[in-house]
Amino acid sequence: MTDTAFVESIIKILFVVVIVAAAYIISTRNLLSLVSVYALQSLTLVGIALCLYLIQGNPVLLAIAIITFGSKVLVIPYFIATIQEKIRIKRDLEFHYLNPTTTLLLSMALMLVVYIALSRIIPPASTATPGLFFFGAVIGISLMLMGMMVTFSRKRAITKVMGFLSMENGVLIFGMFVTELPFIIEFLIVIDLIILVLLTTILSVGIDSTLEEFHNRLHRFYLWEEKEELP
Amino acid sequence: MILIAFVLATAIAIAAIALSHTNRNMNAVSIAHGLVFGAITLAALLASPIPINSFIVGSQFFYIDHLAIYEMLITIIIFTLSAIYAGGYVESLIASGELEKGSLRLFYAAWSLLFLIVVLAFCSDNLALFWIFAEMTTIISAMLIAVLSAKENIDAAIKYIFIASTAMLFSFVGFIFLFQVSRSTIPEGTLNWTVLIQHASAFPAGMMVASFALVFIGFAAKSGIFPFNTWLPEAHAKAPSAVSALLSGVLLNVGIYAIIRMLALVHQTAAIAIVSPFLMLFGILTIAIAAFSMLPQRNLKKLIAFSSIENMGILLVGLAIATPIALFWVIFHIMAHAFTKASLFLSAGILHRQYHSKFSGDAPDEIRDVFRLQPLAAWGTILGGLAIIGMPLFPIFFSKLFILLQLGTVSLWLLLAVLVLLFIAAAAIGYFVITSFTQVSPKDAPAEIEQYMTPLSMKIPVIVLIAMILVLGIFFTSGEIGFINQIVMELRF
Repeated sequence: MTDTAFVESIIKILFVVVIVAAAYIISTRNLLSLVSVYALQSLTLVGIALCLYLIQGNPVLLAIAIITFGSKVLVIPYFIATIQEKIRIKRDLEFHYLNPTTTLLLSMALMLVVYIALSRIIPPASTATPGLFFFGAVIGISLMLMGMMVTFSRKRAITKVMGFLSMENGVLIFGMFVTELPFIIEFLIVIDLIILVLLTTILSVGIDSTLEEFHNRLHRFYLWEEKEELP
Repeated sequence: MILIAFVLATAIAIAAIALSHTNRNMNAVSIAHGLVFGAITLAALLASPIPINSFIVGSQFFYIDHLAIYEMLITIIIFTLSAIYAGGYVESLIASGELEKGSLRLFYAAWSLLFLIVVLAFCSDNLALFWIFAEMTTIISAMLIAVLSAKENIDAAIKYIFIASTAMLFSFVGFIFLFQVSRSTIPEGTLNWTVLIQHASAFPAGMMVASFALVFIGFAAKSGIFPFNTWLPEAHAKAPSAVSALLSGVLLNVGIYAIIRMLALVHQTAAIAIVSPFLMLFGILTIAIAAFSMLPQRNLKKLIAFSSIENMGILLVGLAIATPIALFWVIFHIMAHAFTKASLFLSAGILHRQYHSKFSGDAPDEIRDVFRLQPLAAWGTILGGLAIIGMPLFPIFFSKLFILLQLGTVSLWLLLAVLVLLFIAAAAIGYFVITSFTQVSPKDAPAEIEQYMTPLSMKIPVIVLIAMILVLGIFFTSGEIGFINQIVMELRF
């Protein structure tokens, strides 16, 4: 087997990449680069899964890496990019409750809280190589919470989708490091995720769209009728 | 065998929907779909004793015990009756241009798929598999809400998806925790409920609390429990009424079902002492938030939606008490609430067609001359309203009474608080009915409102449901009691 210490330090570097990507997703206003950063984050996940495979030699991890690459690095980013071109929005300037700086500070605080909370819940003896695996669990949960902040603080539905996807990456990291689930479950989750992304992006075309035709269609329904009757 | 029959029947139904062109044909298919599911379940019930252990069922992924059968029967009854109702309702939606003809196939196909997935969810033994099915129900029911393609419907659907799915990810982390917990006694680890319940008493309490809390977040969001209740009134009020009946009568049960299963595991350990007050707190907060939101509500469907939240709160309070008697009545309340709420939404749907766009959104209802124009829907709403606030002769009276009596043994102050809140909720429904149903236009005024001719297919489900809740409230058969007792026993309370 390869040198475990070397692989572990590579995983640690990849963790940093994941967190930096998450910080970028939280703070950016540029929608076009958001998708590429998400793809990069997913690619990092593939890297982590491969490194873990080198340490543990569990074929499920290899399968996870392949599925993640196919769905989250290729299919989903491509699909979202196509949709973005259609609805012609390049920027998301509106934030609900938090602006980017506060969000970043808050996410740092969150990571600290997660670290303390998890160190109480997970007894160190329960995992094989405690340091790395505990660290992975912390990163996973923090990534989830950061993604959740994106989902709740952004206004555009398409940015919310990115937040959700980033949350899901967090769950995947947590799952990889804390325990190994049966492969079929991982596979079904990916299918579920793809359906979810397809549906939300299609629906968000309706919400985010600046296209005239969509609004014209809405006028046919009773919601707008009263206004039309007035003059 | 039974699962293959379900999947096959659904595949045939969806194929038939894809081939047919008119609303009438597609509707006939979905009614037949419901009847076939009912027949399959009854045949399986007669052919083998519960828990059913035939091919595939009884494998490591699927398992059908009394609770599963019970939830499946409720699901099948509500889906079939709503399908009958949908025929006339969808016809009218198309006539008024709210539903495009092109969306018809999507609507009925999603309907059939949702039916299959809810039933499969109740059959799953593996909790992760259950999670996936529950997540799919969110996606498909959001499609049924967004099918009207008005902007406010899409808004409601997106809100529903984001709140429910985001919270459900926490549930999944909870299940990963549970898997890790199970490895303390079973080396290879498992998420199969039947195995877990046998070993649950050996699980460490601290980890069980963490796992339950995470799982609770997700399924609380799914069943509209405070603080994740914000999507529910929007989604239930804006969906087509036939779909609202499903959302309230069936999909809320999916969330509560998971909480019950998880609580049964926690109940085996010392963790129940920590989890119980936590559930009680959320239950009472949920009832409170719903009761106070109902009071100023002038929109019938939203009022009914908030009442669903209130009932979910009552269920949580019942679960928090965690005695066998309380659990018995919680199980009974699930059925009573499902049927009553379905009948209320179906009645509200008739009123919605009569008074049209005026209350599709947040606008208050302008109901006039309701007894002249829609006598059946008016009486349906009144009887349903009496049933939901727990008047004697209706089944909810018994479940509320016994849950409250059990609550009294825990704390009299909590009992008093819940009683006041339930009274506020009842007053809100009463106030709405009295103020809006007594609006009569002057005798000599020209009739401005054209009467909506309610088709028979929309009247029958309302009558059947009300007859069912009356029968449920008056007759307690020993079979019914025995069945629910079986459920309580299988949950090891």
